[in-house]
Amino acid sequence: MANATEQKPAPRFVRADGPDKVTGSGRYVADMSLTGMLHAKFRYAGVAHATIDKIDTSAAETIPGVVSVLTAADVPDVIYSPVVPDRRLFAQDVVRFEGEIIAAVAATTPEIAQQAVDAIVFEYTERPVVDDLEAAMAPDAPLVHEDWESYAVTGDTPRDRNVATFSSIAKGDADAGMAEADMVVKGRYVADGCHAAPIEPRGVLAQWEGTKVTIWTSTQVPFDARNGVCETLGLASNHVRIIVPHLGGGFGGKCGFHFEAHIAALARDARRPVKLVFSREEEFIAPDRRRESMIVDLETGLRSDGTIVARRGWVAVENGAYTADAAFFPQLAAMHVAGPYKMDNVKIDASLVYTNRQPSGSVRAPTAPQACWACESHTDELARALDMDPVEFRKKNAIDTGDTGAVGQVYDEIGMQECIEAATSAIDYGKDLPENEAIGVAIGWWPSFPGPSGAFVRLDADGLGQIVTGAQECGTGAVMTLRQLAADELGMDPEDFQIIYQDTGVGPYDTGATGSQTLLNNGRAVVDAAQQIAEQLRVHAAEQLEAAAGDIVLVDGAAHVAGSPDRSIPIPALAEVAAEGEQLLGKGSGTPPAYPDIPGMNCVGDQGVAAWAAPQFSCHAVHVRLDPDTGVTRVLNVSCAHDSGTIINPIAAHGQVEGGVMMGIGQALTEGTQYSDDGRQLNAALLEYKLQTFADLPTITTAFIQTPTTEAGPRGAKGLAEAPNVPTAAAIANGIAKLVGQPVRKLPMTAERVWEASQ
Amino acid sequence: MTHEMNLAVNGTTYPLTVDVSRNLLSVLREEVGLTGTKQGCDDCECGACMVLVDGQPVNSCSYLAVQAGGREVTTIEGLGTADDMHPIQAKMLEAGGVQCGFCTPGMIMSAQALLSDNPNPSGEEIRIGLSGNLCRCTGYQKILQAITEAAVEIR
Amino acid sequence: MSDPTFTIATSVDDALAALANGARPIAGGSDLFVGARQGKAPLPESIIAIDRLAELATIEATSAGTRIGAMVNHATLMTDPTVVADFTAIADAAALVGSPATRNVGTIGGNVMNGSPAMDTGAPLVVLGATAHLQSQNGSRNVTLDELWIGPSRTSAAPDELCIGLDIPARPERSGSAYVRLEYRRAMEIAVVGAAAHVALDDSGNLAEVSVALTAVAPTILAVDGLDSLVGQSVDDSTLASVAERASEVATPISDLRASDAYRRHTVGVMARRAVDAAARRAQGEQIAVPVNRALGIGASA
Repeated sequence: MANATEQKPAPRFVRADGPDKVTGSGRYVADMSLTGMLHAKFRYAGVAHATIDKIDTSAAETIPGVVSVLTAADVPDVIYSPVVPDRRLFAQDVVRFEGEIIAAVAATTPEIAQQAVDAIVFEYTERPVVDDLEAAMAPDAPLVHEDWESYAVTGDTPRDRNVATFSSIAKGDADAGMAEADMVVKGRYVADGCHAAPIEPRGVLAQWEGTKVTIWTSTQVPFDARNGVCETLGLASNHVRIIVPHLGGGFGGKCGFHFEAHIAALARDARRPVKLVFSREEEFIAPDRRRESMIVDLETGLRSDGTIVARRGWVAVENGAYTADAAFFPQLAAMHVAGPYKMDNVKIDASLVYTNRQPSGSVRAPTAPQACWACESHTDELARALDMDPVEFRKKNAIDTGDTGAVGQVYDEIGMQECIEAATSAIDYGKDLPENEAIGVAIGWWPSFPGPSGAFVRLDADGLGQIVTGAQECGTGAVMTLRQLAADELGMDPEDFQIIYQDTGVGPYDTGATGSQTLLNNGRAVVDAAQQIAEQLRVHAAEQLEAAAGDIVLVDGAAHVAGSPDRSIPIPALAEVAAEGEQLLGKGSGTPPAYPDIPGMNCVGDQGVAAWAAPQFSCHAVHVRLDPDTGVTRVLNVSCAHDSGTIINPIAAHGQVEGGVMMGIGQALTEGTQYSDDGRQLNAALLEYKLQTFADLPTITTAFIQTPTTEAGPRGAKGLAEAPNVPTAAAIANGIAKLVGQPVRKLPMTAERVWEASQ
Repeated sequence: MTHEMNLAVNGTTYPLTVDVSRNLLSVLREEVGLTGTKQGCDDCECGACMVLVDGQPVNSCSYLAVQAGGREVTTIEGLGTADDMHPIQAKMLEAGGVQCGFCTPGMIMSAQALLSDNPNPSGEEIRIGLSGNLCRCTGYQKILQAITEAAVEIR
Repeated sequence: MSDPTFTIATSVDDALAALANGARPIAGGSDLFVGARQGKAPLPESIIAIDRLAELATIEATSAGTRIGAMVNHATLMTDPTVVADFTAIADAAALVGSPATRNVGTIGGNVMNGSPAMDTGAPLVVLGATAHLQSQNGSRNVTLDELWIGPSRTSAAPDELCIGLDIPARPERSGSAYVRLEYRRAMEIAVVGAAAHVALDDSGNLAEVSVALTAVAPTILAVDGLDSLVGQSVDDSTLASVAERASEVATPISDLRASDAYRRHTVGVMARRAVDAAARRAQGEQIAVPVNRALGIGASA
């Protein structure tokens, strides 16, 4: 059994970047200016699929104030992207989605740059628009990439025509298991794409000095951005420095390498600094990080005792026009379609399908909210078929400590069952409710992502500390929490430390604000570095206090001899001594937690996301009210329970859950990308793409099930930032289904769709 | 056509010559040099550009700068400093109402307008009062707590 | 793009002179500004700001009823005691517009002269029998809203005419009004459909007068005809069902990204029924807080 810990009152931990942010003095990319700076604008294709007949920039180039105009001809011909390289900086020969860049302009004002962009002549011949996932998989479907076979794909990556990658997860014999079932339940679930929609539209500012370029950019992954610039422009890694000033949110939308190379190329050509700031519409249309649309077919065999005997699944995940980082999405979607359940026989096939739409990419827990919504809607249907309470069904079938999951991984020390208990009891599941109100419940899971990460810690002569890390803060507070870890190792106050971060020229490598990995990986690195300084301090203190180094403890800003509290020396005094000789410098990277083995796993197209390190578990129970005459749903109360291991910074942790829940409510009810028949986004604005407002805020309560986890981050912390986004939409769906009498099989479950389902 | 005007921002008057078509947001950021007010959308939908004009909340992205001539504009920079924070700023930090921080200045300005008008707002009144400010990070709940606590402190 | 000239009007005469010279008036300016940026219409060549004309920002009793000045903003409309007590549907509508900032900047005159079929205050003004008082250097006139609104964002006002205010006749005894709107979220919405109702009751509590107008289901705000047969009826489920049916019948909604025509046709009936219900309850003296949406039904608080 996991050890469910009572929620302690949150300490008031004020983030180091907080004063900048509440006073307006914090700088984001759009707030920066450099002398001589030009302004960039992109010319987008504006058509979803076409052969390029002509791009003529001559008229644009003659407009006074225009300094540089670039197209594919002006940059190295490099095809990039991880796993399935299929992308160029500028369109060449064919455009495959409306937001594809065909040219970039730098001019003295944004208005002149826009005028120049509009003056570029773009002639094209339209091609058929591929926008239906099933039709795209037909053998005679028009191809999004006619030269798909030529791409230099890496790893175990089965592909075929419009199927960019294929994966399966398999265990036992699903067909035989299904034949043994007492009943079989089938369902189809279709989710629209949606957007990360950070409130900051991105900006990029590039400046060259000699052969080196510095790029200030709103990216979540500075090292990825650097590597992308190096790869596409042919530059050495130490000639490109990426600096992120404050980042105004990302949610995955600002992961990956995006527009840094375009702006660097313009700045090089113009011999002037160049700045790009997106409009809200561009932030919707241009990035290759949109949450993927998905079709899920599920078929589950049940025994009459309420156990699952077999599951077959078929999943189509929208890739969009280019693969970005989505190669692993099919396998991850398959894991979520299987869910955190015990089942002996499983076969789920999942494909990543090209379309002529904006590329998909890692948005907060990629594939999970939609796939969990499908799986958990289906789970409630299973319970209904058995005439069993859906929470009881979950308690019976969800994995517990020591159980084996869908791909054969054995889960030790997990809090899945405790999450179900905590979330449902906190909302008083089963209580009498008014007509038109119901409580829906869903469970979810999400991996942690161990990886390499480094940090430096130093104490200067006055005893004040500096943490220098390549890690990226996107708002979660994960980097801010590093101060707490360093301070605890050194017996100091977090306020004694400042952090230099998100600068590839200064901090050691870190993956970035992606995969909920910052505290898990960079936290270990900082602890490792701080421990080295602690050891140095102990040696100095041992000399000063005439004691053994092993007897020195660091507490309350001083080194003490254990057991003799009066024999102590303040850390600043030790730092002053150290400054004269070997300085107090720590460098750490820690040892990443190990990925578990899965004996006998027979997944095809393994992209490394079947075996989960430090898996996180969650249960959300949501009290909804339905207006049956209109289909409008309101969320009144959300009760969350999360096993993300040890919680180090409670305020930040609660903030992650609450933010994830509100995003989940949006995905459930109001957020979906709408397209015209010719493949263009119809609602690329915040009036028509509806985020939840402050007025929609329900009451959100959170219990953390702090399961002791050995193969995890510092002090047993797992990831957290993505997990809260996984089960909310699913729980809302199950509440609505109780009131409508059947599931709404389309996501988002808009008022109109709920009303249609209830007709 | 350009228009000459005096723009009073946070107690200082700036003589400016601006194009009539420019919005207050761009003039504050580029001419006055106060970048705490943010651009998150272009059409009154996100609230990141919220400022006070004669004490009332205004989306500065959709307000002609020339309309503010002769009026008093207050931006986030006019509220408090890192060493001497306004209670709303301090409570936003303490309660965890700040994550990425991009919506924060606008959120604080709307809160200031709300509390000036209604020093003792209910939870529902805070929800409605700040409903023009989108936040994607926090889920609003800690901002609700912060404004509730700030109201107590200000009273 | 040429940049406009800008003048601040210091009197109504000042404004009328500018309009006679081809200027366009702006109050808050949001619609004009957002419209220009979205490419719907360029900024005019000459702008006269009328938002500082204090004489247009008053709500005053007149011999025929009440005049709401064109520069009264939504924040005032939703809280002004006269509007809340007598013209409650306007307060309901004003309270649903956008956010506190847009309610602060947006004026009823700006709304009326913008003439959008999705404007929230339009249907309440129609059911309350409001007329727009227009003035130019050549004189003044009152026009019904039916005459004023001739198409989506098109009015019959001459370019030199300024909307001075909205004249609303005095309310009969035992009357009430309400405005209800379909909302996908509880704030920052634009009407997908909406409905306003005015109800007056006779001594026995039956309908003496009933009028309904619909938002965003036709090229202009749509007054529902054919409700006369309900006069004399009690306000019961059958009456309300007739209202809903008639509203759905007369609506000519479009399908767009916000809703299909079928869903709009259905929900506008629901809104009409709820508006008449709330108006009748107010007529009976029941206190239903402004806005109805948040007091009852859709968008109600937990």
